[in-house]
Amino acid sequence: MRRRVVITGCGVVTAAGTELEPFWRNIMAGTCFIGPVRHFSCPGMDPLTGTEVELPEADASTENARGGRCGQLTLAAARRALDHAGLRAGSPASEGGGVVVGTTLGEERQVGELDDRWPASGADSIDPGFFSRSDNHRLATLVAARHGLGGPTVVSATACSSGNAAIAWAYELVSSGGADLMLAIGADALTRSIYTGFLRMGALSKSICHPFDRRLDGVTFGEGAGALVLEEAEHARRRGATLHAELAGYGLSNDAHHITAPDPNGEGTVAAIRQALATSGTALGEVDYVSAHGTGTPYNDVAETKAMKAVFAERAAKVPMSSIKSMLGHTNGAASAIEAVACTLALRHQAVPPTANLTEPHPDCDLDYVPLRGRPMPVGTCLNLSAGFGGFNVCTVLKRAP
Amino acid sequence: MSAARSDGAVVPPVAVTGASVLTPLGDSPSTLFAALLARRTAVVPLADLGGAAGAAIADFEATRYANVRGLRLYNQPTRLAICAAKLALADSGVEAAGLPKEQVGVILASTFGHLETLIEYDRSLVTVGPQRTNPALMPLAIPSAPGAAIALAFGAKAFSVTLSDGGASSLDALGLGAALVGGGRAKACVVVGAFSACRDLVLAAGRAGLLAQASDYRVFDRRRSGLAFCEAAAAVVLERPEDARARGGRPRALLGGQASTFASDPGRLAPSLGRACEKALRAAGVTPAEVDLVCSGASGSRPGDAAEAHAIADVLGGAAARVPVSAPKANLGDSWDASGLVQAVSAMSAMESGKAPPIVGLEDAEVPGPNYLLEEASLAVHHALVTSISHDGACSALVLSRPHG
Repeated sequence: MRRRVVITGCGVVTAAGTELEPFWRNIMAGTCFIGPVRHFSCPGMDPLTGTEVELPEADASTENARGGRCGQLTLAAARRALDHAGLRAGSPASEGGGVVVGTTLGEERQVGELDDRWPASGADSIDPGFFSRSDNHRLATLVAARHGLGGPTVVSATACSSGNAAIAWAYELVSSGGADLMLAIGADALTRSIYTGFLRMGALSKSICHPFDRRLDGVTFGEGAGALVLEEAEHARRRGATLHAELAGYGLSNDAHHITAPDPNGEGTVAAIRQALATSGTALGEVDYVSAHGTGTPYNDVAETKAMKAVFAERAAKVPMSSIKSMLGHTNGAASAIEAVACTLALRHQAVPPTANLTEPHPDCDLDYVPLRGRPMPVGTCLNLSAGFGGFNVCTVLKRAP
Repeated sequence: MSAARSDGAVVPPVAVTGASVLTPLGDSPSTLFAALLARRTAVVPLADLGGAAGAAIADFEATRYANVRGLRLYNQPTRLAICAAKLALADSGVEAAGLPKEQVGVILASTFGHLETLIEYDRSLVTVGPQRTNPALMPLAIPSAPGAAIALAFGAKAFSVTLSDGGASSLDALGLGAALVGGGRAKACVVVGAFSACRDLVLAAGRAGLLAQASDYRVFDRRRSGLAFCEAAAAVVLERPEDARARGGRPRALLGGQASTFASDPGRLAPSLGRACEKALRAAGVTPAEVDLVCSGASGSRPGDAAEAHAIADVLGGAAARVPVSAPKANLGDSWDASGLVQAVSAMSAMESGKAPPIVGLEDAEVPGPNYLLEEASLAVHHALVTSISHDGACSALVLSRPHG
């Protein structure tokens, strides 16, 4: 017998805001935060286009920065979600809790800092601290140590669906009884390998990303983190927590098609959606909104549109689907966690966020992508789609709180 | 048999139907186990590291084990993982049974599996500039890349998930694999862990004082002085027992419970691992008195080994003096992401052979209480407890049981 899992806290640190209300207001207005990158550089490629997070002073402390930029973003989102859930470090409710962090790149900048010293110093540039700094598991233990979490500390990597994968594993632990409370986080910082790699593969937008638009020509990257507190429903009720939404289930698949390119027909996405619907007991007609992966690449956006049609058939065009990456850029492993927070807010506010930069749909993208501005509407069930380099597909299902 | 989880929820156990290892002491569970029984050790001084301890597989040639397209593009941990997965799938009979690809999943334990490629790619950005880097390297330089390569190699379409939990990775991966298979998300799941320390990582660990001198390497001993990295991979195939039997497969062990905990303070490691053991035993429906063997993750770490010993003694209580404790890292060194799987496979070998290997090099145990195996033992193993502690405080425990009938 599965236990019901509810979302009792959310946190985001994004270019669109580092608190829930401004974040929601900004994305509903369709404000695009993509612009010149000021605090991160990439040799031979500057100026970069993307999004960056302006962290408040409390989150940008030296102590938080010691973990690296990704750790800093992770800690900032975790604190917000735990505060939102009304949990204090070391409280009985949090002691048995754990954390799953999903990340595409982790502390990759630690490697960059070492390599910057390499031409001058060679092997002497390798300092003793590199061993633990290059260990991505640190992202989870930083959070657990800071907040007195004594349960599982897990870091999962499924490329750009890592945030959703973290949510799925946290859900699995709570629903099966392995833990009463789990913090699920997706986090990533801007890194030079992702910029240069996508440039060389021709997958980087020449301007800014335009998901589902005729001008779609590639990805624009960003940084950020999203966090959700997942809790067993009765555990949450007993401590008087506010139930913001229910996490009803998830679906997984792998394309096993190509090391970089997604399945062109979106078959893996179809499988993940169908499994998510089946395991959450959701009928097709119940789905009110789909948060798209929507990266702004022809590969993804056309395949995702095909997948929607394969699953929803004639109803596909009637289910609003949008991509907030049009405003935040693609924050890699953070993206689907941030998008899960957006779905939670959509359920709370009874409105769905838009796809910005969408003025003329791509000829192969003919669904309702909620162009330009958010839309008030009844929202009872959301699907949160994500896909990653290497064929990793994860879909989570969020519903109004029971 | 059904297993009660910590809250009383009932979760059926999952069967292990195939296993493999690739280690410096053997490339099959039987050859490794024979080497452990024979007290052989793989730990030697690493070249040009001043005698620091380590172990590597001699003359590893991936094509001996797997004929997979693209193998030459992948780094050593990825090749090891693919080969271990291939061997475990073959051992289970899942490959021959021709399960639909949509019903086969992959869980990879890998914290550092991408690191060598990332360093190679990133260093080339600095040394030759972004326009002259090898674009084929970047997709292989992210932490999920080895998992993508394994899924691609076997056409595994149910899922591929990578867990990067340091030394606790592979026991956590077994827990996730069991949950996904038990929950019906795949008919079969290969859980694989692989580790091969790249040079930068070894240098950093050596400079951090984490590595023992090869001449001093030992576990649980009062004179232990640190770790020895060991290149290795291991894999198991998980299926629901009824699915395995339906295709003519043989459950070789049942995975009844797994649990993870964390302690940031080294002084709290023992109670933290103790909690993980207790949760895993409860989940498996096994009492401490029913445990027949502990396969410990003791690695030579000063805080880690002491915590393992205290936790084992505390959890087993009155049974501690009777239940034999083995520790394969004494022979192999620490294979990090693969280590929990190597221990699990060793425990399965003990179950099947009725023997348990001694802890090589242990002369003066620091913590009294546990029944450290100093000589090979003959015993009937119905339930084995497998433990692991990562260097950063993650603790994980797993219970394996002998199948009925």
